[in-house]
Amino acid sequence: MPLENPIPSISQRVTELNNRHRDSDASVVLRDVLGDALFGPIALVSSFGAEAVVLLHMVSEIDKATPIIFIDTEMLFPQTLAYQRKLAEDFGLSDVRRITPSREAVFLRDPDNLMHLADKNSCCALRKTEPLEDALAGFDVWISGRKRFQGGVRAEMALFESEDDKRIKVNPLAHWTREDVADYIAANNLPRHPLVAKGYPSIGCEPCTTPVSSGEDERAGRWRDEEKTECGIHFMNDDKQTPDANVIVNDNGFASDDWNRGYSSFEDIEAAPESQSAALAIDLPNDFDAVKLLPWIDQIDLVRIEFPVFSDGRGFSLAQRLRLLGYHGRLRAKGHLLADQYAMARRSGFDEVEIDQALAARQPEPQWLARADWQARNYQHRFQQSA
Amino acid sequence: MYNYTNFDKEFVTERAEQFRDQVKRRIDGSLTEDEFRPLRLMNGLYLLLHAYMLRVAIPYGTLNGTQMRTLADVADRWDKGYVHFSTRQNVQFHWPKLQDVPDILGALARVDMHAIQTSGSCIRSVTADHFAGVAADESEDPRPTAELVRQWSTDHPEFAFLPRKFKFAVTGSENDRAVTKFHDIGLKLVRNETGAPGYEVSVGGGLGRTPMIGRVVREFLPRADLLPYMEAILQVYNQIGRRDNKYKARIKITLHENGIEDIRRRVEESFALQRVRFDGVDQDIFARIHADFEPPAYKHASIDAYAEARDSDPLFRSFTDTNVHPHKNSDFAIVTVSLKAHGATPGDASSSQMRILADIAEKWSHDELRVSHEQNIILPDVHKGDLPAVYKELRAAGLATANIGLISDVIACPGMDYCDLATARSINVAQGIAIRFDELKLEHDIGNLKLKISGCINACGHHHVGHIGILGLEKSGVESYQITLGGDGTEQAAIGKIIGPGFKADEIVPAIETLVLEYLELREDSSETFIDTFRRLGPIPFKAALYPPKEKNHAA
Repeated sequence: MPLENPIPSISQRVTELNNRHRDSDASVVLRDVLGDALFGPIALVSSFGAEAVVLLHMVSEIDKATPIIFIDTEMLFPQTLAYQRKLAEDFGLSDVRRITPSREAVFLRDPDNLMHLADKNSCCALRKTEPLEDALAGFDVWISGRKRFQGGVRAEMALFESEDDKRIKVNPLAHWTREDVADYIAANNLPRHPLVAKGYPSIGCEPCTTPVSSGEDERAGRWRDEEKTECGIHFMNDDKQTPDANVIVNDNGFASDDWNRGYSSFEDIEAAPESQSAALAIDLPNDFDAVKLLPWIDQIDLVRIEFPVFSDGRGFSLAQRLRLLGYHGRLRAKGHLLADQYAMARRSGFDEVEIDQALAARQPEPQWLARADWQARNYQHRFQQSA
Repeated sequence: MYNYTNFDKEFVTERAEQFRDQVKRRIDGSLTEDEFRPLRLMNGLYLLLHAYMLRVAIPYGTLNGTQMRTLADVADRWDKGYVHFSTRQNVQFHWPKLQDVPDILGALARVDMHAIQTSGSCIRSVTADHFAGVAADESEDPRPTAELVRQWSTDHPEFAFLPRKFKFAVTGSENDRAVTKFHDIGLKLVRNETGAPGYEVSVGGGLGRTPMIGRVVREFLPRADLLPYMEAILQVYNQIGRRDNKYKARIKITLHENGIEDIRRRVEESFALQRVRFDGVDQDIFARIHADFEPPAYKHASIDAYAEARDSDPLFRSFTDTNVHPHKNSDFAIVTVSLKAHGATPGDASSSQMRILADIAEKWSHDELRVSHEQNIILPDVHKGDLPAVYKELRAAGLATANIGLISDVIACPGMDYCDLATARSINVAQGIAIRFDELKLEHDIGNLKLKISGCINACGHHHVGHIGILGLEKSGVESYQITLGGDGTEQAAIGKIIGPGFKADEIVPAIETLVLEYLELREDSSETFIDTFRRLGPIPFKAALYPPKEKNHAA
């Protein structure tokens, strides 16, 4: 039945809310959100980490029955699990929902719990982002404890955010400082996560969290020595977030790029005074004339051919031609390829495919593995294969 | 005919399952609509004006009774009880539901059928002479080559995302019934001076908005070089074919813009690299395929019944005069069953008609049927002594229309009734012409005349190669039909020329009547066909008849 007054879009409401609450205190924001029937179902998403206690306490003061979503990645510190039980009991939280990754997905994608070693992004997707997305399915609003002082993309975070126009995300502590957090905890005499005293100011999964030494950024211990700064659950509306490293697809599934020595263009190689002896990788557009590469064909370790769009099949012929001309090095297809094209890429001479995070999320690893049997049922191969 | 190996069977079954998964992944968002489109097209599924259309492959037009019966079952269970046989020897279901398509493909896979590469920018289902293997005028059977090309092109990893669609046709007869000169690659089986088998390879033919006759790129290609040479042509096309403009993306334009010398040089260069990949295994497979096409054991029996029926039944005589073509074995006949009953939709067949055709094929035609690009069904192996019985069955099913090669044996595309590209209706024009000439009782007197109708410039109705071609266009909201004359899809390939201004929908049938009556006036005798008369006299007398000088209505 059509409504007489159409409900404003989520982004319109978010603009209005940010305006209304630009000077509000966190507890005012929370009271407004939790008390307003117009908001629809609301959940607090909590890590039960180092600073989670602040929001949990505030919410418990307003409504102890608020659904609290706790993502148990099954890789957390045992202390986190104990702390979660303690806080729930202390604050009388009656609806803490411990969400674990789907059995089936873990079985298919990370049966040995080793994915975090090879591909942290996929591990976060499997254990955090996807379960959270499922858990949030019935909610219109979720509350997060992120703060601007945590830096990175969080520095410009608003109080209310629109998540792809389908959900509102509230960050009541957005403008809190480190001192505000410390003061609130002290004033209310709140219990701390046991690992805080051991040098962990930010706590995630056990394999990817390390202590931080004094002077370091407090999230420095998360995914230490990597470019990664966010697990992925907060990307959903962070357009400014630069995409993470691309995903490499091979017959074993997803992996991260092990080539870290950069790529040259053909022009770079042509301009080099003498032949290169160091490890050499080259980026080629798909309309490149393969014959031009002949003088260097034995010196190149990796050729990466661009696929600007999956429906442009020139890259397949370029790969095949390079192979026919005697290129034996590593050959990679990069760009927009579908999982459905994986077998074609392999049969055309590619060793692997490089896709971006967005495509990897949309077409996750099992869809690529479904075509990893590229040698099976290959008509063309039968015509070329001597008994 | 070709017997599916376990490899073939597993392939089509797996492919149907892959498509089921792709439909699922389209629904769950893994595939965007843009990504899904080419995948569904490669599996024969179009989105047309009113609904999805599923085009099922009938490679080189050959199928058996069980397969024909399965098509009928699919039509009954998942469609509206009829099918449309296309100008590329395939069959189309015009009303399937998306969620049913995986089940349809599964049902087809069980009888060694599929919809692979009947659409999309890839190598399309290969076509061949519909009289292949049985025609008296044939020098060599094109079907083993067509089957080899089918297998080689199926799911070819390098050529699944070409600039545009790519069509093969193969003929083994001097009388080119496969329209090879109007395909992207046309193969003609030939022998060189030493008698070695090989191919004359034509490239860059095509109809559509820019009709072109294929050019011979190799006069003689040894048989064992076929696949590497095809790889080379496709590789060159895949790399330099235009992708910036879909109307300039076919290889005919690549050939036209780069010149045949440049294309030939590139192809030969690529061929030299490709050739080493083929060390003869392909020829072993070819030999096995060839063995499947050995002629059946033809029975020795009296053909007296045939002569008697011709003497006693004028309708039977008329049917055998038009619808029977000479067979290699003089006791046998090639029977063409017309799907062009006067007033019917050209190329349509009901499920009950299909089942009757399946029964007849099993009983009297060595369990084999063919689909012609002229949208008729062929019983290739009928003993003449059985012809009266076959005729009786066909007649009872409304399948004995005696008009093969005549003016009412029209090729027509689906036109605006079904197709979202069409700019005019074509089926109603075909029906109008068929009904009019049936009323005039002239069509047998007129004799061989190929009339072809397209409902838009894309020329699916092959109007460019009709002796008389009709192109339906839309001009300021009104359907307008342009007439071309002199087209020919055979070895005497020619593209019809526009004769003058177009005609409105209610004028086109009278205009065709005027043209044909003029031909009857002009011809030397009844043995001179329309196209021969046109070739002798040119367009001028026809033009004069169609566009008489206007009388001065307002005398000064």
